[in-house]
Amino acid sequence: MNNEEETPETPRGPEHRLRKELPQERPAAADAPGAVEEAAEPKEPEAGLTGRQRLAQGLWPPRVSRAQLIVALLLFGLGFGLAVQVASNSDSGSALRGARQEDLVRILDELDDRTQRLQDEKQGLEDQRSELENSSDRAEEARKQTAEKEKQLGILAGTVAAQGPGITMTIQDTKGTVQADMLLDAIQELRAAGAEAIQVNGVRVVASTYLSDSGKSVSVDGNKITQPYRFQVIGKPQDLEPALNIPGGVVQTLEKEQATVAVERSTKIVVDALRAAEQPDYARSSSQ
Amino acid sequence: MIAVLGLVVGVVVGLLVRPEIPAVVEPYLPIAVVAALDAVFGGLRAMLDGIFDDKVFVVSFLSNVVVAALIVFLGDKLGVGAQLSTGVVVVLGIRIFSNAAAIRRHVFRA
Repeated sequence: MNNEEETPETPRGPEHRLRKELPQERPAAADAPGAVEEAAEPKEPEAGLTGRQRLAQGLWPPRVSRAQLIVALLLFGLGFGLAVQVASNSDSGSALRGARQEDLVRILDELDDRTQRLQDEKQGLEDQRSELENSSDRAEEARKQTAEKEKQLGILAGTVAAQGPGITMTIQDTKGTVQADMLLDAIQELRAAGAEAIQVNGVRVVASTYLSDSGKSVSVDGNKITQPYRFQVIGKPQDLEPALNIPGGVVQTLEKEQATVAVERSTKIVVDALRAAEQPDYARSSSQ
Repeated sequence: MIAVLGLVVGVVVGLLVRPEIPAVVEPYLPIAVVAALDAVFGGLRAMLDGIFDDKVFVVSFLSNVVVAALIVFLGDKLGVGAQLSTGVVVVLGIRIFSNAAAIRRHVFRA
């Protein structure tokens, strides 16, 4: 191709050769209507070969260097621009370098959006985390309180063993005169004096405990117990003992029935009779 | 020959110097290069046709570059810069191909 470009410089020979072929070439060339200015122009010279010759001749001898220099200058500019563009395009890293302003704005917008979304997400996750931390703290606290409460309630309900200061009351009833109502009175008295856990001959006394006469002896919650009746009571000994011993109280009443009663304080009473927790059949908690 | 030398020297200088392109020119440079390529192919074809005119070449070269840059500039202002430059490149590409076809016929007679 470079050789062809040189044609104008070189003597007429090759040019004439080309020109002779032009008639055959023409139709094909006309097919390409993309005609450049240069290509479109020669329609008139085509009519008269002499005009074109004249034109070529006019161009040829004196200006050859100038035309070449000008073209060289333009091509230099083209090559320079081409190289610069290629170099800057293949410049590493800066994919944004050749981007147009609107693209850059769009990219920036997208990045902003993305940042915003991620910030929101981060905020949400942080909220969630602190919420979970709080709730797990609260759950831990609630669990502790529940466990504490379970123990307290278990003592009341008789599902856990208890120990503490209290008294032991032993009733010797050799004549079999002690009846269920007397024992019930004793239990009531103890409760009134602040007894917290009571067991009678290995039977835990709870809220639903009932006593009934059963021949010469007494049943507690259906368990027959025999004398001596031995009450183990946890509570404040200084309150419990006087409560039993008041005039006309439990001890005197029992003694009137020929029973012997011994009350003895202790700093450590163990109430270890247990009662299974029962699920109520009908009652349901009405609290939330 | 001098022209070809000019092209080669331009490429070499461009690669060696690696000048920082001014931001104002940056969006127009690729389109301008393509337009100039079109002009060069047109010039080459004209030369093979024996109708080369340096004045026409210079004018077409410069006007191609200017018009291409102008179209891109206008497109940027109108907010359709990307599409317009694509269109310009397509049109110039078609022209380059048709010129290349003409050149090919001259060179290879096929």
